[in-house]
Amino acid sequence: MFDVIFIGLSLSSILLLVALGLAITYGAMGVINMAHGEMVMIGAYVAVLSSIWLGANFLLAIPIAFVVTALLGLLIERLVVRRLYGRLLDTLLATWGISILIQQAVRLEFGLTFFGIHIDGLGPGLQNVTVPAYLQGTVSVAGLEFNGYRAFIIGVTLALTALTWLILYRTSAGVQVRAIIRNPKMAAACGIDVKRVNALTFAFGSGLAGVAGVMMSGFKTVFPDMGATMVVDGFMVVVTGGVGSIFGTILSSGLLGEINALVAIGTNDIIARAVVFAVVIGVILFRPNGLFSYKGR
Amino acid sequence: MALERKIQLAAYGLFIAALFLAPAFGDEFWLNRIAKYLVYGMLGVAIALTWGYAGILNLGQGLFFGMGAYMLAMSLKLSSPTSLAQGSDTPVPDFMLWNAEPGAPTDLCCINKGSVLWLPFQHQWFGLAMGIVLPVVIAGVLGAIIFRKRISGVFVSIITLALVLLVRLVLVDAQPITNGFNGLTDLGWLTIGGIEFDPYSRATYYLCAASLSLTLIAARLLADTRASLILQAIRDDQLRARYLGFDVPVYQTFFFVVSAAIAGYAGMLYVVVTEFASPTFMDLSFSVTMVVWAAVGGRSSLLGACIGAILINMIEAQVSETEALVEAWKAIIGLIFVLVVLFMPRGLGGLAHSLVARFQRDEQPSVSATAGAARSETA
Repeated sequence: MFDVIFIGLSLSSILLLVALGLAITYGAMGVINMAHGEMVMIGAYVAVLSSIWLGANFLLAIPIAFVVTALLGLLIERLVVRRLYGRLLDTLLATWGISILIQQAVRLEFGLTFFGIHIDGLGPGLQNVTVPAYLQGTVSVAGLEFNGYRAFIIGVTLALTALTWLILYRTSAGVQVRAIIRNPKMAAACGIDVKRVNALTFAFGSGLAGVAGVMMSGFKTVFPDMGATMVVDGFMVVVTGGVGSIFGTILSSGLLGEINALVAIGTNDIIARAVVFAVVIGVILFRPNGLFSYKGR
Repeated sequence: MALERKIQLAAYGLFIAALFLAPAFGDEFWLNRIAKYLVYGMLGVAIALTWGYAGILNLGQGLFFGMGAYMLAMSLKLSSPTSLAQGSDTPVPDFMLWNAEPGAPTDLCCINKGSVLWLPFQHQWFGLAMGIVLPVVIAGVLGAIIFRKRISGVFVSIITLALVLLVRLVLVDAQPITNGFNGLTDLGWLTIGGIEFDPYSRATYYLCAASLSLTLIAARLLADTRASLILQAIRDDQLRARYLGFDVPVYQTFFFVVSAAIAGYAGMLYVVVTEFASPTFMDLSFSVTMVVWAAVGGRSSLLGACIGAILINMIEAQVSETEALVEAWKAIIGLIFVLVVLFMPRGLGGLAHSLVARFQRDEQPSVSATAGAARSETA
């Protein structure tokens, strides 16, 4: 029983890492970023590429992935998302287009395949990342055995969540973001540079997704389409938790991850996912604002 | 306004005429492909009806399409030669035999748990009827719940999206009765009143062309009714419409159901044309792709969305002839989509309307021009 809960906790952590970025961008900016899953994918590819080309170790891939995806997020915000504020469904559609573009860019190795050039680690095939030895194996604490890598994921998630919380609640930039979540126009009237803060928020959210991608690459195969399911899962977490509520996102990722793990033990993975979808539909139907939401002002 | 109305009528007339003249220009193989695109065109109409007129972005339209497809495919599977030749009283689908437990009776009633569900599908009319009834009932119940609870905007999109993924998972998991990932293949032909609809025949093409024409005309007539005007009012300001005393959920549910019925019908036609039904119909990407077609063609223009769907698929087929371009084409579609949302939110249909409006203004700079511009929002 205890390992099931532990596995659920590690699933929750991945969900949370993906959803955290979405929660901030959706909450603060009213933007549904369907390309968020592609940020996860890019993060995973950064892990692949850095191990092939830089011979860098797995841990080093984490900051690199953060920087790469954050810059990409900034670019997307500047070029596309910025023009669509206030048109929620249109942001969903436009970023879907972007997600296809990014997928194809990786699959076609940024167009280099047309010139017969191949880069190891890119392209349509499956990639793998080997987790360093010290993260494999098991850790035993108080007589209980833990899978080392899963424990590592949970640890990284805790650290990043704490960091996000610190930024949001203990820095002046965080105060500005929270003001925008409550009421963007009022925030602008108070002298907050909403555009700038939004752009940075978007970049930060994308960066978190990139880190999630590195974590994912450790136990899943990496391929260009891997992000598509991630963004759906992440978004369900955000909606279930309540838009604009970081706390809600944390709890709902815990809830959905545990449900997934518990049901999967009793039946199979497919049914478990189906049950998670059913729970999400139920929550939206009966609590359209999510489990933990607070009103905008 | 009168002029615009005439141009609109002419556009519909031309399009339908083109549908029926197309067989003169190609062989059966080509016609089969075009018939498939016409089915996609119907999906474009279904999306435009809910998205353009009701402001409901259904990201799970594939659910209704898939339901229609599976219902008819089950009937056609039972009428295929492979199912009939199993030496039992009832036809038995081949995949059920492959997976049957040793000693299980070769009969549809009890070859496995759940195969009973297939029994009524021995009658082709049952499959045909269910292909419409099931989507309508599901959409009715779903719509009634969603819209009574005043759920709107992106939350409707999330619910429909989650639902289509949920059903897809269950469908794949129920392998013994649905053949899981493989879907239903090797189907018989649809037979109505002695006419066999061989997918590579002109009869099938005309069936699709007539279905699309009727759908377009019916949807257009529906869009001209008072109910549609109220629906558009709801789209623009739901609260105000409610305060004016309109029963908002009823209108929303009704259009949601009509759109589901069109999608279910399109699903059935698709099965007739392509001879298979597969869980990929319920993939998220397929449902979003439909929205792309409608967006490019013009979300608030029924004919535009329909032409958008057909056009994109024809171009895609052309491009895909060159193997190297297949993947590049997907990237181009992504790019087109971003550009359309950014710079042409009303799509090709909106473009046509602006052109007509400009033309009109040059002709007679009077009140009717502004009226025409106002009307061009929807059509």
